[in-house]
Amino acid sequence: MTTTVRPETQEVGTTFARGEPPVAAVADRGRGRRPRLKSVESRAAEQRAGRTVHLGAGVLALSVLADSALEHYRGSFHNKAMFAPLVSSTLSLATNAPAAFGARAPLPVLDAVQGAAAVTGAAGLGFHAYNISKRPSGLSWLNLFYAAPIGAPFALALSGFFGRCAVRLARDSKTLFGWPAGRFLAATVAGGLLGTAGEAGLLHFRGAYHDPFMVLPVTVPPVAAGLLGAAALKPSPGLRKAARVSLMATAALGVAGVGFHLFGVSRNMGGFRNLSQNLLNGPPVPAPPSFLGLAAIGLAALALMDANDE
Amino acid sequence: MPESDDPLVTPRATGGRAPDVFRPGGWTPMRCYPENDEVDFAIVGSGAGGGTLACKLAEYGFSVVALDAGPYWRPLEDFASDEREQAKLYWTDERIVDGENPLQLGPNNSGKSVGGSTVHFAMVSLRFRPEWFKSRTTLGYGADWPLDWREMWDYYREVEEALTISGPVNYPWGPKRPRYPYRPHELNAPALVLAQGCEALGIAWTPTPIATVSAPRGQSPPCVYRGMCVIGCSTNAKQSVLVTWLPRALKAGAEIRDLAMVGRVEHDDAGRVTGVHYHREGRWRFQKAKNVVVAGYAIETPRLLLNSASGKFPHGLANSSGLVGKNLMVQANQAVWGLMDREIRSYKAPPSLALTEHWNYCDDGKDFFGGYAYMSQGPLPVVWSGVLASKRGLWGEPLLDQMENYNHQVGLKMVGEFMPQERNRVTLAEERDQYGLSVARVTYSWCDNDRRMIRHALGFMRQALEAVKARDIFDEANDTCHLNGTARMGDDPATSVVDADCRTWDIPNLWICDGSVFPTVGGVNPSLTIQAIACRTADRIRAMARRGEL
Amino acid sequence: MSDRYPGYDVLAKRDTPSWNDQTRRVVERRLAIDPDAHAFFDEAQWATLRAVCESIVPQPKDRACPAPLAAMVDAKLKANEGDGYRDARLPRQDEAWPLGLRAIEAEAQTRFSAPFHELDGARRDEILRDLHEDRPRSDAWGGMSPKLFFETLLLHDIVGAYYAHPHAWNEIGYGGPASPRGYVRLNTDRRDPWEAAEAKPGRAEEARRENARVG
Repeated sequence: MTTTVRPETQEVGTTFARGEPPVAAVADRGRGRRPRLKSVESRAAEQRAGRTVHLGAGVLALSVLADSALEHYRGSFHNKAMFAPLVSSTLSLATNAPAAFGARAPLPVLDAVQGAAAVTGAAGLGFHAYNISKRPSGLSWLNLFYAAPIGAPFALALSGFFGRCAVRLARDSKTLFGWPAGRFLAATVAGGLLGTAGEAGLLHFRGAYHDPFMVLPVTVPPVAAGLLGAAALKPSPGLRKAARVSLMATAALGVAGVGFHLFGVSRNMGGFRNLSQNLLNGPPVPAPPSFLGLAAIGLAALALMDANDE
Repeated sequence: MPESDDPLVTPRATGGRAPDVFRPGGWTPMRCYPENDEVDFAIVGSGAGGGTLACKLAEYGFSVVALDAGPYWRPLEDFASDEREQAKLYWTDERIVDGENPLQLGPNNSGKSVGGSTVHFAMVSLRFRPEWFKSRTTLGYGADWPLDWREMWDYYREVEEALTISGPVNYPWGPKRPRYPYRPHELNAPALVLAQGCEALGIAWTPTPIATVSAPRGQSPPCVYRGMCVIGCSTNAKQSVLVTWLPRALKAGAEIRDLAMVGRVEHDDAGRVTGVHYHREGRWRFQKAKNVVVAGYAIETPRLLLNSASGKFPHGLANSSGLVGKNLMVQANQAVWGLMDREIRSYKAPPSLALTEHWNYCDDGKDFFGGYAYMSQGPLPVVWSGVLASKRGLWGEPLLDQMENYNHQVGLKMVGEFMPQERNRVTLAEERDQYGLSVARVTYSWCDNDRRMIRHALGFMRQALEAVKARDIFDEANDTCHLNGTARMGDDPATSVVDADCRTWDIPNLWICDGSVFPTVGGVNPSLTIQAIACRTADRIRAMARRGEL
Repeated sequence: MSDRYPGYDVLAKRDTPSWNDQTRRVVERRLAIDPDAHAFFDEAQWATLRAVCESIVPQPKDRACPAPLAAMVDAKLKANEGDGYRDARLPRQDEAWPLGLRAIEAEAQTRFSAPFHELDGARRDEILRDLHEDRPRSDAWGGMSPKLFFETLLLHDIVGAYYAHPHAWNEIGYGGPASPRGYVRLNTDRRDPWEAAEAKPGRAEEARRENARVG
């Protein structure tokens, strides 16, 4: 493959909204450096990172779709608003998935769908908080365990948020909301990992950590979050490498978690023969892949940090 | 061994093996002791007292044979989802009840199974209020226990761990206790109603600490919320003695003999017990033992001691105080019921998922001694129809109409501390049972304190239901639960039957380890306390053995 | 009696995870009871018992196979199944029941000069009400309290038999057998798809459709 050095012009990123200033000028802000000449490899890496963010957001959306469908079905859709996350996550998935493979919907559409997901997720947090507070004993361990799960809509909000980040990266792979793209993404993924680990930790606490493997989602992802956060603060190849490894472990955990949860379902009375109860009562099978989605975005963040030389 | 057996007819724990309750058709090896071998301990009854003690003593290296009149159930295969069928769990042999307030026995309080009444109990696992161990001295009624609550606090912990109690993260009353091993269960609708009522009245409530698991534990799956706890748990989520202490006991070398009705405890001329006569597989047999523990619960224990009367002990064994059979205490189990507009469907999940112990710890404004807790309820159809028919007096169309409101019914049921009264007692009746043994006569009358407590509780629970807008509220004014007191513990042989170590004063190698030993009954379900006492007794026995005092 | 749970049938769940083998055996045995079989009571007592059962639990006339309450009570007494305790004021159940039924017959003769089972519903109810309130008119009771017999044996056994029958479970919308599958939705106003759907006012068809799906 030949490497052609091209000056940074409108060609950086194949599409962007009409009327936007050239990316180079935008990238200049806050960095105080002259625009660098980019290699094709570097641009390819950026595009890959962008697509990976779409992929991660899509995995989050899929996890939310399946999880909210199961849980809201269990909740009998007693409030019609409970259909919203299913619709929103489906749209989010439908737009993130093709984008992950390079076939993007028009950016405004993508942006709108992702924005809606973020808003729906945020609204969900409100609904869930209300559901918890209106029960006897309000904000209590009992209701945190059994009322609407406090952190679950967070995953939808994250899916929407990261989807929007991916859209912005398509226009400008250097900055996100004014911050260096890679480091911003890393910091937000770290936050996302901590929140998701917290939710898993809460529900594993409800399960009394009866199985030693249940400590994995409250140890591996927080470590990854810590390393990712540190890598966001301090440019160091060593930290990035450690973060990369821990993120891959987190991704693996996201997959293994499905297996563990299926095992948990089988351990209930009647096992898979009693699926109409056990799929709903047992550990939520669609939940662990949210770690996979976040880990993918975290890896993309690291790639961006390298590609953008942050 | 017969291939297809009826556990009610053919003993299962024979020939070196006992049922493995966790594996359908499975067996676990069991050490068998020849009858002529003088085992260290022959324990009569394998329930909360006897089963726990059998486990602990076997684990401490003693040779133990536990004999139970009941069958050795395999819950996964034997337990049907049907009230009428499951009456097989209860003590249905003849007993006579009289007094001013004759007791209702059977499903209320008397099991006949290996694992005792814990096979059908509602799993509510509560600690005594510390002051109750010194009721007389600290609260001015009843009698003091010769036990220190701080010591019992540790034993409660041991039992809670052994039963993997699922309980709240923080318990609202009493001194600090360690966190329950598992988390509480989700509240069902009747429990939510209790909670709302308590909040409306400004008192604390809690998810009930309960002996069924909220997450997998060993081979027990988590509770499936089928709501049939008191007719037998068919999933083994319920942590009865049958699925907790007894498998451990077998592993530690204890022998369990099912369908073994002990009819008489034998003693020698020196006045020491020598073993037990028991009926099994069609004939009477004798097991030699260095020590005998009677753990048949508060009716069968005094009945056996009285039936073991002899020339040397004409008033029955261990009865120099004259108190064997006396001071029978049940607990008030009155309830208030109402109808909600919303669907409650109380048949789902364990009956008592929420409770309040407010009136156990608060003494303000009480015109009675003692305390009571109250909890949510979930009666199954036959039991509920009995409440509406026999207690509320409905029959014909009015009964059918009211029963149709089943899914809207909600209730609050108390567990209240009745006072010890010597006139409440177990004696021997003229009638004889199928083994030729004198049948028990159970005499019970409420005292004024009992009545005042009931009035207070019915009034308060009614308020709690009114506060949540229940309608058609009515009182279930006559119901009792549990059995205690008929071989009370004390520090004076003149006023008690056993000492703090559950050893009878009269006969040094005769012990009593069940609910009979309670001097007072408290306002909480007794099972946790019975098991804690058994754990303590095992420790004391081990200490005594080491010092050569056995 | 209204149709609160139209179309709901616990038996529809027979082959679902809500029932297990031992439950199927037990319920099938109960459903196979011959309603005319009586091995304990004599013919006269049997006739009285059947009439008493009709009054205590008036099952719908159009029910194809009414719950065999009299046969269930008879079988219980033949097997001497009890709750394990007897009020000292009552004779044993195998004496109390025949005595009670003969005394009810005597009440009918004393009041209306006709056998109990030939009386109309209102007159039967009148007799039973009087017994429930301890106002016998015949001295056939001997020392046995009619009220005590009525509450602790008659009502207890007949009503208990009815609510052990799937017909009754359907009437009251009870979930029925539940093992290994129990329940998921425990909250107020929530039902699992395998539970009975209650007909809300004016929306019976909706409930019927739901109940047709129960399984």
